[in-house]
This record gives sequence, structure tokens and C-alpha cells, in this order.
Amino acid sequence: MRLNPVRKWLGVISLVAGMVLTWPVPAGAALEKVVIGHAACLSGKYAKAGEQSFGGIQAAVNWVNESHGGVSIGGKKIPLEYKYYDTESKKESVTSLLERLITTDKVNALLAPYSSGLTLAGAPVAEKYGIVYLDHGGASDKIFTQGFEYVVQTIGPGSKYHTGTLDLVKAIDPEATKVALAYEDSEFARSVMDGAKEHAQKLGFDIVFQRTYPTGVTDLTPLLSALKATKPDIVLGGGHFEDGQLFNRQMADLDIDAKALSLIAAATLPAFYEALGPLAEGVMGPSHWEDGVTFSPDRANQAGLPWIGPSQDEFVSLFKAALGKDVIPDYHAAEAGAAVLALVMGIENADSVDSDKVHKALGDLTFMSFYGSWDVDETGKQIGHPMVNVQWQNGNRLIVAPAAAKTGDILYPMPTFAEKTAKE
Amino acid sequence: MSPSRTRLERYYALLPVLGAYLVLFLIGNGQPDMWQLVAMLAFYCALGQAFNLFLGMTGYVDFGYVAFAGVGTYGMAISISHLSAVEGIGGWAIAIGLLLGATMATLLSLAVGAVALRLRGAYFAIATIGVNEGFRYFVEGARIWNGSDGIIFSRDLRLIFGRETATALSTFWADVLVLLIAALAGVVTLLFMRNKIGYALTALRADEDAAKVMGINVTKYKIMAFITSAVFAGLLGATAWALKLTYVYPPDVFEIHYTVEAIVIVMLGGAGTLLGPLVGGLVYGLSKYWLAVTLPGFQLLIFAPLLLVIVVLFPEGLVGVLKKKIGNRPLGKFIV
Amino acid sequence: MLGEQLLGNLIQGLVLGCVYGAATMGLSLIFGVLRVVNVGHGAFIMVGAFTALLLFNVFGINPILAAPVALLIGLGLGFAVYYLVMQRLVQAPELASLLATFGVGLLLEETVKQVFGSEFRGYYWSVGQLDLGVTVLPMTKLYACAGSVLVAVLLYIWHRKTRAGRALRSVVEDAEGARVCGVNVNWVYAMSFAIGIGLTVLGGVLLTMFIPVGINPYMGGVYTLKAFVIAVLGGLASPYGAFFGGLIFGIIENGSYTLLATIEGVEPFALARALSFIMLLVILLIRPTGLFKTK
Repeated sequence: MRLNPVRKWLGVISLVAGMVLTWPVPAGAALEKVVIGHAACLSGKYAKAGEQSFGGIQAAVNWVNESHGGVSIGGKKIPLEYKYYDTESKKESVTSLLERLITTDKVNALLAPYSSGLTLAGAPVAEKYGIVYLDHGGASDKIFTQGFEYVVQTIGPGSKYHTGTLDLVKAIDPEATKVALAYEDSEFARSVMDGAKEHAQKLGFDIVFQRTYPTGVTDLTPLLSALKATKPDIVLGGGHFEDGQLFNRQMADLDIDAKALSLIAAATLPAFYEALGPLAEGVMGPSHWEDGVTFSPDRANQAGLPWIGPSQDEFVSLFKAALGKDVIPDYHAAEAGAAVLALVMGIENADSVDSDKVHKALGDLTFMSFYGSWDVDETGKQIGHPMVNVQWQNGNRLIVAPAAAKTGDILYPMPTFAEKTAKE
Repeated sequence: MSPSRTRLERYYALLPVLGAYLVLFLIGNGQPDMWQLVAMLAFYCALGQAFNLFLGMTGYVDFGYVAFAGVGTYGMAISISHLSAVEGIGGWAIAIGLLLGATMATLLSLAVGAVALRLRGAYFAIATIGVNEGFRYFVEGARIWNGSDGIIFSRDLRLIFGRETATALSTFWADVLVLLIAALAGVVTLLFMRNKIGYALTALRADEDAAKVMGINVTKYKIMAFITSAVFAGLLGATAWALKLTYVYPPDVFEIHYTVEAIVIVMLGGAGTLLGPLVGGLVYGLSKYWLAVTLPGFQLLIFAPLLLVIVVLFPEGLVGVLKKKIGNRPLGKFIV
Repeated sequence: MLGEQLLGNLIQGLVLGCVYGAATMGLSLIFGVLRVVNVGHGAFIMVGAFTALLLFNVFGINPILAAPVALLIGLGLGFAVYYLVMQRLVQAPELASLLATFGVGLLLEETVKQVFGSEFRGYYWSVGQLDLGVTVLPMTKLYACAGSVLVAVLLYIWHRKTRAGRALRSVVEDAEGARVCGVNVNWVYAMSFAIGIGLTVLGGVLLTMFIPVGINPYMGGVYTLKAFVIAVLGGLASPYGAFFGGLIFGIIENGSYTLLATIEGVEPFALARALSFIMLLVILLIRPTGLFKTK
């Protein structure tokens, strides 16, 4: 079937005409609103985290407009607007979309794309225009050693992820000495591993196994077989989502039992238990935030910190409304939302949207929100935010550490896989 | 007509190409909010022109093409991160970076070519995929160049140039270089087309065995095209990825989807034509941008069926179709 | 100690290899008959994985029963793709068919993402395990292995012994000649493509029996690359060559880990993968028709 050439060209012409007619035109410039721009990752390899971040940001923005009444500048309440484009998780798009946000949409601040790499890719553009660049999804310490002046981080640095876990186990079981480290070979996971190793050695643990595996690995069997042979008491590891699920599942497949298993990123998400069922019982994971932490205005008062933002529950319902789906927000959503709250506080404290003033205000700022406490050092790196440790018990996630935030006691040692499968 | 006039006339086709790049530069430089968009378009055009040197002219599909851009990126990254300690090195760091990137790409292409160019068709395509993936895992596995940590060198760039210039380099000059690379690739394409190598490649593209029988040294010309195309990719990686973004992670630069994008751009515009990759790059880049802005999250869903439509209905690409219509008229000598 | 681990890994690799092989047979079949490289191969595996996931989580149907369903889905998809897209491209240069199969794969991925989201999912199906001393094998892996072998055997029988299989072989040998003899070549192409896709989708189910977690719309890419190496190992045009290619690949992927891990300062997994691609290049150079004499 050959298509009539006239029809072919008609099709092409109408397509082009359609594009031209709907070509997005610059917004009218006026400061009747404060605009935050985001180079989002709504598709491509960071789609999942990107979607969560998007929901968290939208939820926070909605809270600011509805409950907070807008951003207070010069005695007036100004509405907050959220503009976002999809980078497809690709670095080429990041710079062009960021620039569009700055020059065409005239945003007052930028939210970086998810992941350390993409955050880095966009940093020079933010520098060039001198606009505050909020890092909500890039945990690499290296971002802050490059000399960028406008980056402000909300997510905590990688090196602190597993230190709390080690403290926890040490306190309960001084007899447990052997630690196995098995992390994904990516910048972020390796910074976790290095931090964990240093802390473990400080506490007197014995590192009996230390290996990495590549991103996108599909079978961890050889690595786990080698791990099994060292008979560790505690296993720490992980990297991202799919490998965390794989890790747990294959430990079960190979019948490797340990007294404690803690996996970063994956273990604290609801999808983890859905995928693994009873095999996930007793598995722990460090998190920036979990649905269930008990940060509240009272706690803020006790700590002497200002409080801003929705309560835990409010955030969850705002999030679901923003995405239009019944999905529980995870820490990506929370940290992105917290970044927005930080910005609002910064603007209000500076009483202006001028980037340099806001940036300075953010440097001086410290506060508490549903996400926990927040404080950055002079390079913009986040230093105020504590991690929590979460553990699956009976299909629920309980926060077992730190003591001030916990919702349940730790289950230690972790039941063996034989016990876990027998339970059903 | 005197010989010299005909000689020059052969290169008239360069005018629209160089003109287009000049116009792009002027638009980007003139309008305050357009530069990064122009930069992105320039990247795609350059990618297409460079890839066209091989794919377009020989018809061979190098599925591992992005590896050359990848090593080019490393070349610049290594140069800047190591030379930042040298006093007053200034612009030489960039020049050395470009040279290093081009050299590494050449070396890799020689190694790959020695193996893969003996193969044809689908076997060639798969062999080249093997190269890209194998090289990437080798870098990560053997931990060369920092392995999967990659190299982040914004700080080194600032040390060498100072904050203002470093930022300008990343946000402006890197892109100017990309435009230059695209233009240069276009010039080389026409040079190929108007000389012996072009005829040889056209012959082998049509029927390699027949060309061999006629005495054309297909291997020599294939290798020439392959290396040239690889060098441009290396230069592109050194500028558009390294200098502009100031970091390199192996999984980000050895990403197979860039090769696919290059294939799409070349095919969309018209493989083997001079204007083709330029047109393809512009159309592709603009469509992506438009989709990203108006329908965020849905781009690929729209893009995939469009791709299918193009492949099935317009296999000779936009410029190819244009050539058929206008090729014989006087204007035709500009549409090559 | 090292020897034990090596043996354990080799056994695991063998079991995994069967599954890899079964999942790649479709790719080789399609190439052998149509000379088309299905670059969207991984996306179809993903479809199979989602089929198994949904049937199990929503209807409680275990993967063994999900397999025939997946095969049917794959057949349907294959026919649809052939008649809508591939039919026109059989004579075109490989560039066109490469791009087309890529586009189809991309479309599948994005559609699944829009409908099901990009979450990573899995299902939990546990039926006991086998402790071999040097290693432990859950029964699900053994089922996957057995299923893969069964599929390979059935394909062999179909290819060699049935009329349809004969028609296929005749087209591979000489399409014009077959046409003259009255074989409906276009139908053979359609059928081969459909069966190839069907096998691939089925392979996805088998794969989830081995690895029932981490299922998401973009999971296919990794498997496409592996499939290329396996298919080349076994001979790009030979469907059951691919099965043996898979076995070898599985053994090398797992077995080499133990050996590479003894070298200081390297990342054994990544190196093993690099090695597999080097192996690919070597084979293409020396014996492009693959390691096995099957046709």
C-alpha cells in the first residue's frame, strides 16, 4: 500500500503547522507570583524517582498556596507557581530546559533534576545566571567540592547512610562482629560503603567481605555465594531499587541467613514488600524519611527550631492528590517537598526573591519540617538532617532508630529464611 | 566553462550548510533565551553530520558509535583534571584535551575497525555493539580512569580559568566549538563526496562485491570513513559532554541510545546527503524540545510511533525526498 | 574452598544459561528467516515478565500456567507487528528494520510505563529448595531450567519434523525457490516472526521464575545486549544454537566471577561482562556462523 504522496505531504505539513501554532510562548513578566522551575525526570531511567520528586514538590507548593497563604514578601502574600519540563533523564536536555526556565519562564529559583550526575550537568547554567539551585536528589559529596556557589542541598550525604545501623546493632549485640559490605558500583553507593566501612572499623567491627557489583546487574548469585562463605553477622549493601530487591531475593534463594540485613534505597519502599513478601521480614533500610516519622511542631519547639510545612499526614494526602493516584510518598518525594519549604523560608527570611539574598538566607537557615531538621554548611551541603532506620515487621514498616523518632522496637536477630517461608 | 569555475561550483553545496550554522549561531547569540536550545540543536546536528560520514556514506550501521564520543569525553576530562596543577596552562588544557580526545577516538576506531570492518550487515552492527558495551564494562571493571566514579572536573576548570571564564566556557564556548565541529564535519562530508573516496563509498554502498570486482579498494576507503567519523565523535564528546557538563560517568557516556539518536537523525534527514543530518538534527532536536515542554512525560510515547512512520514511509529522509523533486533544477546544486 | 565456590557457580550458571538460551531462541529464529535483528528484543521479554507478574499477583496463577498464555500473547503481538510494520521492510536495508524493531520496542516500553507505572515489582512464589552442598537451588529456578529445556526440545521437533518447519527451512535456504515450489513465503515470514516473538515473551516468563523481582518497563535493555552475545555464540541464524549459546554464556558469566574475583582491585562482574563482549568479537571474527554446527 503506497501512500498517496499528496497525503504524505499534507500529513507532514499539518504536523509542522500544529507544532508552530502550539509553540510555547514566553510568559508575561510580572512579580505577582514566585516561580520555581524544575528540570524534572518524568521518563527515562530516573522516571520512578522523578515522579516521586514531582509529586512531593507539587504537594509542597499546594500546601504553601492553600494553607500558608502564599509566600510572604514585603508584607504581602504572593502565590507560588511550579513550572516543570521533562528532561527524559538525559543530560543534553537538562541545560536547555533549565535555561528556558530561567529566561523564558523567569523563574526565581531552580530545582535540579534527580541524580548526582544530572545535578552536576545543570550546575554551570545556574552559576551563569546566578540563580539558587536546589539539589534534592543528588547525594554525592563531590558536588560540593567543585566551587559552585548557588547549590543548596536538602538530601543528606551518602557517607552517613549506614552509620546509624551500625550503632544500633552494636548497642544491642556486642557479640556480633563480622560485617559484610556489598554495594552497587556507583558514586552514591560507594560513598555509603566508604562511610560504613570507616564507621564499622571505628566501632570495632570486622569487615569480612567487601565487594561491589555493577549497576543493572541481573544476577548476584556469584557474589552472594562468596559472601555466604564468610559467614557474616551483619550484611550491609544495596544501591538502587531493582538491585535491592534482587539482593534480598537471592539471599533467600541461596539460603544465606544473617542477624541483620540493611539495604539502602530499596528496602524502605512499599514496593519492596510487595515484591518479596515474607522474605522481606526483618530486613532494614536507612532512610531520609518514612511515612510514620514523628516530626511535629512540638518536637521543633523542643529543639528550638522554627517549624514550617504540612504535618506528616497532610503531606501524604497532598501528595496523593497531586499525583492523582493512591501511591505512598517515599523519601524522594519528601526531600523534594522539603527543598521547596526551605526555599520558601529562605525567601521569607530574606524578604526578597533576589537570588543572592535568598542564597545567603538559606545558608543561615535552620528549621524543622515533616522531613526532619535542615541545616546546610557554607558549601551548601546538608548537615542537619538525620537518617532513620526502618524495619519490616509483619508487613509494616516500623521506625526502629533513632530512639527519638521510633515507632517500634527492633526485631533482632532477623528470622532465618526458613522461618520466614514457613510462616505462610 | 573554465575548469576553475567548475571546481569551485562543486563546493556550492556548502553554502546552505555553513549558512545554516551561521544563522543558528546568530539566533542563539542574539536572543537571550535561545542559546542553550541552539546548543542542543547544534549537538544533534554535529552528531548527525559526524555519523553520516560513516553510516550515510557506507550504509554500515555502527551500533557502538557512541563509544568514540565517550573516549573523547574522557580525553578532555583527563586533560583538564591533570593539567590543572600546571601553572598558567590556560587554553592549552583545552587544546590538549581536544587533541587527546581525537587521538583516543582514532586509536579505538583502529582497534574496532580491524575487527569489525571485516564483517558485514547485521554482523557488523552486533560487533560494534559489543565494542561499546565491552569498553564501558572494561572501564568500570578494570577501574581505569576512576572506573565507575568517573571524573568530575568543574573545580579543575575553575582553577585553570577562574570562575567567570570557566562558567562561560561551559555555557557558551563549548557550544560554539560544537557548531564549528558540525560545520567542519559538513565540509569534510562534501570533500568526501566530491572526491575519489566519495565515489568509492557510493559504489560499495550500492553493491560491495561488485565494487571489489571493479578493483576498488573497499577496505581502505571504509577505514578512512570509519576513522574520520570516529574522530569527529571524539571531538564532539570532548566539547559537548566534557567541556560543557564538566563531568563524565561511564554509564552516561557509553549510552547506546545516543547511537540510536544518531541513526534516527541521519535517517530522518536523509542518509548520505550533505544537508540531511543538518535538517534531521534540527527537526529531531526541535521536536524533542517541543514535546518536553508541552507534554512532559509523554515524549517517548509519541516519538516511538512517529519513528515507525518515518522508517516505513520516508526511508530516504526529508532531504532525500527533496533531492528527488528539485535535484535537476538549478537550485538542486545546493541540495546535496 | 575456591573449588567449591567455582563448582557452585558453574551449576548456577548452567541453570541460568538454560533460561538465557530459551529467551534468545526467538531472536535467532527471526534473524535466521527474515535477516532482521530484533533490537526491541528486551521489550518483549519485559512483556512476558509483566504477564507472569500480573497473572500471579492478580489472579494467583502460577508462572508454569502463565507460560502458555504468554506464548499466545507473544504470537498475537508478533503477527500484529509483522503485518503492520515489518512486512514492508523485509527487502529494505538493515538500517530500516533495525530502526523499526527499535521503535516497536520503545513503543511497548512506553505504553507499559503509562499503564502500569515505572515502579519496580515482583512476585513471591516459593516452593521449596534443593540443597546441593556447594550451592542451594530454589525449586523455582529448577522449574525455569526444565521449562527452558522443554521449549528448546519442542522447537527442535517443530522445526525438523513438521510441515511448517520444513516450509521455514526451505525459505531460509532459498526463498525464490521455495516460492516457485508453492510455499507462501510471506506467510512463512509472518509465522516465523510471530513464533520468534512468542518464544521471546515466553522467555520472559521463564526468566521471572528465575528472578521474580525488579520487574519494570525498562528492564529489557540489559537482556537485549546479552541476547546478542548469546545469539552470536550459537550462530545468529540458528534457533537452537542459541540455546547452547545461552548455556555457555551462563556458565561463563557466573563461573568467571570466582576466578576474576581473585584479581585485586577489579570489579569482577563488570570485567566478566567486558569479557563476554570480547568473546563476541572473537567469535564474529573466527566463526561468524557460531560455535555449533546446527543449522
